[in-house]
Amino acid sequence: MKIVYTFLAVTLANFLFSESLLFKNASVYTGNADEVFEDHDIYVVNGKIVEINKDLDLSADKIINAEGKIITAGFISPYSHLGLVEINMLAETRDDSSSVYSAGFSISQAFNPSSTLIPYNLNGGLTSAISTPSGNGLFSGLGSAFSLSGENESLLLKDLALYGSIEAGGESKAANLLLMEDIFELTRAFNGDLDKIQDHALPKSFEYSKRDLMAIKRVLSKEIPFVVPVNRASDILSVIEFSKNQNIRLVIMGAAEGWRVAKQLFESKTPVILEPINNLPTSFDNLGSKLENAALLNKAGVRLLISSDRWETHNAYLSRQGAGIAVSYGLPWNVAVNALTKNVSETFNIPDRGSLTIGHEADLIVWDADPLEVTSFAEQIYISGKLMPSNTRSLMLRDRYLKRD
Amino acid sequence: MRYLFIFSLFFFLISCSSEVFDNSEREGERDDIYLSTYNPSSSGDVLVKGGRVLTGTGEELLSADILIKNNVIHEIGELIEPSPNTKIINAEGKWVTPGIIDIHSHMGVYAAPSLRSNSDGNEATSPVTPHVWAEHSVWTQDTQMPLALKGGITTYHVLPGSANLFGGRGVTLKNVWSKTVQGMKFPEAPYTLKMACGENPKRVYGSNQEPSTRMGNVAGYRAAWIKAKEYKDNKNATRDLKLDTLEGVLNGEILIQNHCYRGEEMAIMIDISKEFNYKITTFHHAIEAYKVADMLAENGICAAMWADWWGFKHEAFDMVWENVAIVDQAMGGSGCAIVHSDSGIGIQRLNQEAAKAMAAGNRAGFEIPRKRAIKWITKNPAKALGIDDRVGTLEKGKMADLVIWDSDPFSVYAKTEIVLIDGIIKYDHSDPNSPKPTDFELGIISPNENRL
Repeated sequence: MKIVYTFLAVTLANFLFSESLLFKNASVYTGNADEVFEDHDIYVVNGKIVEINKDLDLSADKIINAEGKIITAGFISPYSHLGLVEINMLAETRDDSSSVYSAGFSISQAFNPSSTLIPYNLNGGLTSAISTPSGNGLFSGLGSAFSLSGENESLLLKDLALYGSIEAGGESKAANLLLMEDIFELTRAFNGDLDKIQDHALPKSFEYSKRDLMAIKRVLSKEIPFVVPVNRASDILSVIEFSKNQNIRLVIMGAAEGWRVAKQLFESKTPVILEPINNLPTSFDNLGSKLENAALLNKAGVRLLISSDRWETHNAYLSRQGAGIAVSYGLPWNVAVNALTKNVSETFNIPDRGSLTIGHEADLIVWDADPLEVTSFAEQIYISGKLMPSNTRSLMLRDRYLKRD
Repeated sequence: MRYLFIFSLFFFLISCSSEVFDNSEREGERDDIYLSTYNPSSSGDVLVKGGRVLTGTGEELLSADILIKNNVIHEIGELIEPSPNTKIINAEGKWVTPGIIDIHSHMGVYAAPSLRSNSDGNEATSPVTPHVWAEHSVWTQDTQMPLALKGGITTYHVLPGSANLFGGRGVTLKNVWSKTVQGMKFPEAPYTLKMACGENPKRVYGSNQEPSTRMGNVAGYRAAWIKAKEYKDNKNATRDLKLDTLEGVLNGEILIQNHCYRGEEMAIMIDISKEFNYKITTFHHAIEAYKVADMLAENGICAAMWADWWGFKHEAFDMVWENVAIVDQAMGGSGCAIVHSDSGIGIQRLNQEAAKAMAAGNRAGFEIPRKRAIKWITKNPAKALGIDDRVGTLEKGKMADLVIWDSDPFSVYAKTEIVLIDGIIKYDHSDPNSPKPTDFELGIISPNENRL
């Protein structure tokens, strides 16, 4: 009987009383002001941020002494295949592409919250990620945002952007832009009747299902952005022109030569997903790539999002190192952190995340030192106020073989 | 642009090689050609004053002067008096390290831009190609080279890819601009031979040709060594370029650089080296080196590793951040750990990669200071390339290859200010025309605008 009472009491407590956390005396970077607030406290109730201020005199279920630590919002990967891939080279471990669907391919059902990459990248500092389809076509599909909590309910925002490429199929980029234009025009006229598609006479090899056209319709209505990887200055201008004519929300990925057309990127309000670590002229399309790109784009007023190298899903958290390198080449520190957090959530409309704001989810990280520094670690990671486990498969392997004298 | 790496690794694969001046008297063999023609002009006297110096020998000097005379380190000490003609470089408040050495590069053979026409890093047409030499593929105008210089790289080792059991000879280069490969070659550096374990060689040649399994790989190595032994014992045999290279290994003149990820495969490769009586110098990539760290230390084999790459293939799945530190600390700290890049991106910041590996080791409970960790990218790769008598540390008599950093090189924010090779300034951050652009980069942005 006593056990039953205890059980009831605990259940009741959980039901009636909220759980509260109080982080004391941290250096807090909220994302809402340029500076870091020293000796600030953060009060979290029921997984949401309730107050951020000095000397909060509040009682809490748990008080975390964060003196000498930096607290930021959890970082958000703007581009990776997290949850969709285990081993890059092994197709049987990949769930991120479709040859049947194009624009309409949603990866939202493919996400595996138990992937080994998720606790690993979580402990690298990512609390959420936009996972994207991969593919070589004109359109590879729709990406979604996920929490990296490892729980079954990880989906944060479904089908938040369409991904495409003008480098598909060995065609001239100009031909691909024409094709995109034709398909967008077709979609504009499309009202759900597949027979109508025939009227628009696309090249024979291009077949679009209703699902594909409905995805493009969401781009045309400006509900979701269209993400296009492009590097050459002239190609960036072509894509900006295309987005103006189609009246859509464009996000550019890569933009190695972005600094050469920074003014146009700013004027067209085009956000850019940068991989700041990539400065090699790997092709004739990115001969102008350089480490100063991030700083120059920021100076021109372009909104930046920072990603790891797009091929590096396994180390998506190394966006932190890329941000640090961008800072060493002139990008202000706070802008770099925003590019890892709020600029991602705002660009893709992921609600209540990306900054330490009253009412937002308490996705936050207690860092042992500057989070952009390569020698720093995330000490404690919270998602919606819940302390995440710090173990990973990699740490378990280490501990099996590590001999500590 | 790690895809450069992925591209090479996955589709062409990677290996390594080396060149020999063997003592045999086989008809037609000559040891007086293909030599280095690198010959720096005299540096005169240069004094690097007042820097915080990580010597690469395991020491840290909080404020030291380094005097260079005629391309060579002449003295390291406090308050060295310059002579009237001495060029002074003020390093007060700066950090000074030996020139950084990357033991695993494909610069020149997988260049940037990466085009089908210059993808010259792997003769993936047969599993046994010890006759090819990486130096014969190097494009001297690769844009990655000046970027690596800016990252403090003064010496690098170019390897063929890993599609083959025996991939060919590698070559050690000084990071200097030259019209010819010979003009970049590290004088009298030993040749190396790239061998590769595991997934890459067994994947490339289809299902109807050996090898298609790991046991097929091992049979292939052993069959080749049997031929090499016969060749070595028969000076009248017709000259064979493949066997020349293998014979050089058996003679101890060519150093084995062995691409190998898994612990159990490293153990088997060591057995093979014992069967045929040759030495493995370094296991490259060595994702699982931490599992066999004691065995590597006992056998005097170095491991060249990344700080954190993983997951691109199955044999790279068991990565731990502490890999480098565990190898370093094996057998009472007698392990030989190296941080390598295998990437035109990574080679620009081996200091950051070493910093990550050091921080992970220290978080795991080791106490590895900067003065020790710097050896992972200086002294240890020099040793594994057989050039540690001339580079890798800041000591009297060594080539004056050194880097002056604006701040702690174990930080993401650190940048090089000056890079000296043989006492001559090759990169100076205050000079807008430095580093010198390659031929490819001249006027490539516009008729009046170079790249960089």
